[in-house]
Amino acid sequence: MIDPGTITAILVGGLVLLLAIGAPVSISIALPSALCMLLIVDFDRGAITSAQQMLGGANSFALLAIPFFVLAGVIMNNGGIAERLVNLGRVLVGRTPAPLAQTNILANAIFGTVSGSAVASAAAVGSTMAPMQKKAGYDPAFSAAVNVASAPAGMLIPPSNTLIVYSLAAGGTSVGALFLAGYVPGILWALACAVVVFVYARRHPDLKGESFPGMAVFLTTLWRAVPSLGLIVVAIGGIVAGFFTPTEGSAIAVLYALGLSFVYRTISVKDLPRILYDACRTSAIVIFLIAVSTIMSYVMTYARLPQLIAESLFGWTDSKVVVLLIMMLVLLVIGIPLDPTPAILIFTPIFLPIAVSYGIDPVHFGIMMVFNLSIAVISPPSAPVLFVGAQVAKARLEPVIVKLVPFLIVLIVMLFVIVFVPQLSLWLPGVMGLL
Amino acid sequence: MATRKLMTTARAWLDGTLRAICVVLFAVLVLLVAWQVFTRLVLGEPSAWSEEAARYAFVWVSLIGIAIAVGEKADVIMDFLVERLPRSLQRVADIIAYLATLAFVLYVMVLGGLQQSMLAWAQKNPLLPLSQGQLYLVLPISGVLLSIYLLIHIVGTFSSRYVGHVGTPDEDLEAAAL
Amino acid sequence: GGEGEEGGAQQPTVFRVAFNQNAEHPQAQALTELSDALEERTDGAYALELYTDETLGDQAATIEQVQAGTIDFAMVAGSLLENFESDMSVVNLPYLYESPEHQMSVLNDEAIVGDLYDALLEDGIDVMAAYHGGVRNVYSSVGPVETPADLAGQKIRVIGSDTNVRMMELMGGVGTPMAQGEVYTAIQSGVLDGAENNPLIYSSLSHAEIAGFYSRTEHLMMPDYLIAAPSVMEGMDEETTAIFEELLAASVDTELERFAAAVEESVAAAEEAGAQFSDADVEAFREAVLPLHEERVTTERTQTIYDAIEAARG
Ligand code: NA
Ligand code: NA
Repeated sequence: MIDPGTITAILVGGLVLLLAIGAPVSISIALPSALCMLLIVDFDRGAITSAQQMLGGANSFALLAIPFFVLAGVIMNNGGIAERLVNLGRVLVGRTPAPLAQTNILANAIFGTVSGSAVASAAAVGSTMAPMQKKAGYDPAFSAAVNVASAPAGMLIPPSNTLIVYSLAAGGTSVGALFLAGYVPGILWALACAVVVFVYARRHPDLKGESFPGMAVFLTTLWRAVPSLGLIVVAIGGIVAGFFTPTEGSAIAVLYALGLSFVYRTISVKDLPRILYDACRTSAIVIFLIAVSTIMSYVMTYARLPQLIAESLFGWTDSKVVVLLIMMLVLLVIGIPLDPTPAILIFTPIFLPIAVSYGIDPVHFGIMMVFNLSIAVISPPSAPVLFVGAQVAKARLEPVIVKLVPFLIVLIVMLFVIVFVPQLSLWLPGVMGLL
Repeated sequence: MATRKLMTTARAWLDGTLRAICVVLFAVLVLLVAWQVFTRLVLGEPSAWSEEAARYAFVWVSLIGIAIAVGEKADVIMDFLVERLPRSLQRVADIIAYLATLAFVLYVMVLGGLQQSMLAWAQKNPLLPLSQGQLYLVLPISGVLLSIYLLIHIVGTFSSRYVGHVGTPDEDLEAAAL
Repeated sequence: GGEGEEGGAQQPTVFRVAFNQNAEHPQAQALTELSDALEERTDGAYALELYTDETLGDQAATIEQVQAGTIDFAMVAGSLLENFESDMSVVNLPYLYESPEHQMSVLNDEAIVGDLYDALLEDGIDVMAAYHGGVRNVYSSVGPVETPADLAGQKIRVIGSDTNVRMMELMGGVGTPMAQGEVYTAIQSGVLDGAENNPLIYSSLSHAEIAGFYSRTEHLMMPDYLIAAPSVMEGMDEETTAIFEELLAASVDTELERFAAAVEESVAAAEEAGAQFSDADVEAFREAVLPLHEERVTTERTQTIYDAIEAARG
């Protein structure tokens, strides 16, 4: 078997090189990973195990929410359902600067209370809001960046699949405590995005708010939006009331939106193939990326790379602050190619015991890990949320990345606030007696 | 000219067939999950097989979907560096990128996928009337489809109509997506 | 095969073992001890390296990796092997064993199950040993479950198979298959009323927080198997094979002891999180579920094994 240094060089070098010549992001991760598989096992087993990991990575019921929410969003736009909702939002928060962008952030935070998936959130909210924002004169790259940046708030605001995975990997840390601990950081995430939008809006006076149009207009808008609000009542209400799981709720949302569009006669049966195909292609691109990143996480696990990273990084220091900084930097870097689920499964057993030995609460550590990896799902090059956000906004990737940079900077600063102020995570579960 | 026309017809037929498969599978997927909710809430007898069936329909639709996405050059790339190169070097970069993709597709999806499928051919799925090997066949099938599209793209880079990478305005992208 | 096969006598052979739970689990502990003993007895020539926490993929994936020879061993749930050899289902029936000791004695008895395990060899699966995987009980957010009537209308998450759905139906509830990752939220929101599992899983998944009534229905004792690629044992000399088999047998016993201790710890932890443990009318449930035995014991081989298991009751 080849040594870990060579594996790291192939993975990193291959990624950079392939990205530079304009290869697809998925292949830039997949090909170097498959090459490592070939070198560490053998030709046949490398192929078969890579294939198996790829299928395994895509074969997850929770991922189903992604195509469904993309589809629901596309239907809502084509069917005029989204427009009625957004008009209502405009009347309600119209006076803030860049009202539609702020509405987008709020919608992602609300969506986060039922869904634990940032990609699903970006798909559902983005495909609803992006066309509206475009019509209102927003730069599509900016509106996509707002949506992408705020979507992961739902990974922290409970329920959260990612926190459940952490609880498992951490050997049974209370899910209830983790869920409560996620509220404040999740809300802070959304607020951080709102601040960036606020600053942006001050430099773009054309995005200033509109004055309240009067009670009559408000009531008309509300009335017109009632059937659309029904979608939220059915989907979100059904999930909260325990009629179905979030993944199932996404399918119900599709059927409701479709039914309503037929009633409005804004969509006919012959439009369906185009709509289904549009949503299918968007989600296929993201699922393929998640599938191939599983090969890379397998290679890293098999070669024991995370353990070697830990050994080489923590040996020389006793400082809690330095150790935490290193851990957070490692996770920020590793999150670039890896999905949060494998990253948590691989790194929790290695990092958590070290963190605990420095007196860090496992609940707090879980929040910082998930906050950190939530930044990873929006940071390029490998960022499923970013791709979905750009796709549903029909925006090119590069300008979206440029607009995303200020959000990333503020969120990384916020990460270190979360890391070094444990009360932000531990206060709420403490008050509720779960610590 | 006749060959080109034949090729265009064949390509259109392949695109159309794959799109139709995706659309049908996707519609089935929505209905499967709705069925799952229906059996639990209304019938009070939760279906055991619908989740398993939905997951595999999802894997199939995603992997066939990626083949058409690559066919339409809709996969995510970042070409801001390549854009700055002269046309001749862009052509070289494109060919290398396509060959890299083809290498992965042939090695992992076609070869690995086929072997995995054979290995699991007799392995029963606990809930579906198909063997695991049959369910895994989507990987080599998608691999072959991807290879066809990649070969078409490679040939396209040698064509006189090759335009290389130019910054696409958003409007074009939107039009292309619909 | 393991690494270093090509090297000289100095290079130890390290077998890769896939495991789906964390390193504190009794099975992981037993395997670590087994590795230490193996290393000592073979003068450092052989050892095991555990890949815990499902990082090499879920259990179904690790079986396929064993078949392909990418990894050497995997610890997998008995139900998964039914997909390769349907007769394996006979040893996974509910209310089949009277105690974990009864279970371990028959499932590691060559005379009873040797033929069954050998049938897996042609699929590239070599069963090394059966380990105790806990006693599964019903837990619910509604209230304690004493009799089948208490389960009426309750949606209880079960393993995704027709046998398990049918079992829960006979027990009085509504068996609802669901991916484990969705169960916590589903119970919390009321999609499910409860689930069924052993106290270790119940505690480590924090399900005590949302379904506080854990009732000892003792309905299922599903074994876990340590499986290997057939090439692993073929490549081992006779002396080492003898040592390995001896250590395996011993580790089955240590695992059983450790499991009992871990159950006590888990029960304490779950009680701390607010769970109430109570006894159920096991005989009533057993009688309700017995029709399943007749429905599923249909071949000559399964009948022979079933009879042998019955005969071995104390
Ligand atoms: Na959430
Ligand atoms: Na990333």
